[in-house]
Amino acid sequence: MSDLVFGLDTFGDVPEDDSGAPVSYAAAIRQVVDEAILADEIGVDVLALGEHHRPEFSVSTPETVLAGIATRTSRIRLSSGVTVLSSDDPVRVFQRFATLDALSHGRAEVILGRGSFTESFPLFGYDLSDYEVLFEEKIELFARLLEEKPVTWSGTVRAPLENADVFPKTESGRLTTWVGVGGSPQSVVRTARFGLPLMLAIIGGAPERFAPYIELYRRAAEELGTIAHPVGMHSPGFIADTDEEAREVFWPRYRVMRDRIGALRGWPAIRREEYDREIESGSLYIGSPETVARKIARAVAALGVGRFDLIYTAGTQPISARLRAVELYGTKVIPMVRDILAG
Amino acid sequence: MATRDFELGLNSFGEVASDGGRTLSDAETVRLIVEEARLAESVGLDAFSVGEHYREGHNDSATPVLLAAIATATDRIQLGTSVTVLSTNDPVRLYQEFSTVDAISNGRAQVVLGRASATESFPLFGYDLTDYERLFEEKLELFMRLQREDSVTWSGTVRAPLVEQRLHPRMRPGGIPTWIGVGGSPDSVVRAARYGLPLMMAVIGGRPQRFAGHVELYHRALEQFGHPAQPVGQHSLGLVAETDEEAIETWWPYWQPLVAQLARERGFYKPTRERYEAELDQGALFVGSPDTVARKIATVARDLRLSRFDLKYDILHLPRDARARTIELLGREVAPRVRELLAKEPIHV
Repeated sequence: MSDLVFGLDTFGDVPEDDSGAPVSYAAAIRQVVDEAILADEIGVDVLALGEHHRPEFSVSTPETVLAGIATRTSRIRLSSGVTVLSSDDPVRVFQRFATLDALSHGRAEVILGRGSFTESFPLFGYDLSDYEVLFEEKIELFARLLEEKPVTWSGTVRAPLENADVFPKTESGRLTTWVGVGGSPQSVVRTARFGLPLMLAIIGGAPERFAPYIELYRRAAEELGTIAHPVGMHSPGFIADTDEEAREVFWPRYRVMRDRIGALRGWPAIRREEYDREIESGSLYIGSPETVARKIARAVAALGVGRFDLIYTAGTQPISARLRAVELYGTKVIPMVRDILAG
Repeated sequence: MATRDFELGLNSFGEVASDGGRTLSDAETVRLIVEEARLAESVGLDAFSVGEHYREGHNDSATPVLLAAIATATDRIQLGTSVTVLSTNDPVRLYQEFSTVDAISNGRAQVVLGRASATESFPLFGYDLTDYERLFEEKLELFMRLQREDSVTWSGTVRAPLVEQRLHPRMRPGGIPTWIGVGGSPDSVVRAARYGLPLMMAVIGGRPQRFAGHVELYHRALEQFGHPAQPVGQHSLGLVAETDEEAIETWWPYWQPLVAQLARERGFYKPTRERYEAELDQGALFVGSPDTVARKIATVARDLRLSRFDLKYDILHLPRDARARTIELLGREVAPRVRELLAKEPIHV
């Protein structure tokens, strides 16, 4: 278990400053850069940034922020989480991440997904009814681009390519590429079909209920004759010095965010009991380093995953509390999880 | 204009360098560009700009990603493009990308929008070259509205419509400095004036002074459209070395094949030695000793009333040492000399 990979994941939520006022978007982006530099120093393995097109989040172009992080860090892997491939162009995505890979001496990773939000579809002129065909065709084209040879391709979702060679080329010859999946068995099978590693978004309920997806991924890879890579999971959480502090800093701000998004999706308002239950037995990794480490170790062992990414922001959690959460994750939680799993 | 305001910058097209006879990989070249931008800042240059190309040997296909990396490697230098191919980009993504670069760089982002002289991006991204004009016109209108307005409702023929769209991350109020890059088309000059945007002229062959008519037209048009005066800049190719001879002989074996290729692809002039010497002497090549290059820049700055000059210092396979020396000499020797020359005989706009 020593090769277990630990990541931090954020969408660049706009935080509060010390007076409780939201900072500017520009300051929110620079905050992510500062947190990444800290994470790199204290031994976090991966920093992942999600692509969103909503006012709560400052990151709409993860690779641009990751490039800013690349020149200030030396070890941490730089990932998206996720890149909404369906509403982007695979050629551009490849170019941007190959450039990031060069800038970071091979530390770039892209996690391709369909996105759990849908804002990018109208924004970039795509129809939600094409959700399936957009992802299917684009991932197929992206898989071809990953070979780094001239590509001839035609389909319905972008202009055809005829012997198109795309630059820059990577040093390793292959850009690290994952597929992010929320809960669709079909997406799991597709990921296995392309022989790509699987990142599961587990954002509510007991993590154990995702075991069948991992089993499906392994079985599908075996049947299709592709490689089943170690599976990753990403879940939300927050760490403070005590359980109580973590819960109380997170709750009011999380609640606002959760209810705003819930309103769009027809969810009832979240109650405190649900919040506490998610912390006890669900998918909120909130508490002191000991509490969070025990919970992560349990989930990792139950699912047999090779990577755990903590989404450490969900709402306007203040800058100082965020930095402390990053620090505790790197300096305390990660070594504790390793100890528990080795024990 | 005060001479201290005269700005000197560098342009890179992401071109692969060599080192001791070895061609660098794409990735090594990408990292070299970041180092060169850092060097440019350390020798006091004002701006570093990266192009956008889609052909072998060029590693600037993701311009904003490169600029973001440079942003955290530097503190002061302005970060721009040379040019961003607006016609085949989406103004919405561009807004997001440049807003992000501006955030990371603490407000140092600029953009030069152009139609591009290379056309690879059209088939690569599924655009038709016959729509060249309409693509640029509509996208410029949208990009400027996204920068200047809070929430935008827009419809046109070149992308999906927007309804009360507010983009994130928000750019600074009013947007970032946005220039229009022109190659030689009077229509493009008038368009820049119509939007009240500064003008960057790509002068890559022939006497720069033949652009005087364009500059005249630009200033007259700005006035007619009721906009205040705007800066005019020039982008040209060149190399600086200790002596004229060294610079001329270093540049020639890299310049000759480049122009030969452009002659085949785009009907450029034939790169004879005679033509080379004419370009050095009277034309658009800024190749020579610091003194020669400084005099040449000061002369065009006066003749064309420029407030900015950008030197494109990379050319396919040029040794990294020669690139570094150009940057050092441009910052340490050429820039102060140009300012001295312009102080003696100021530019009157």
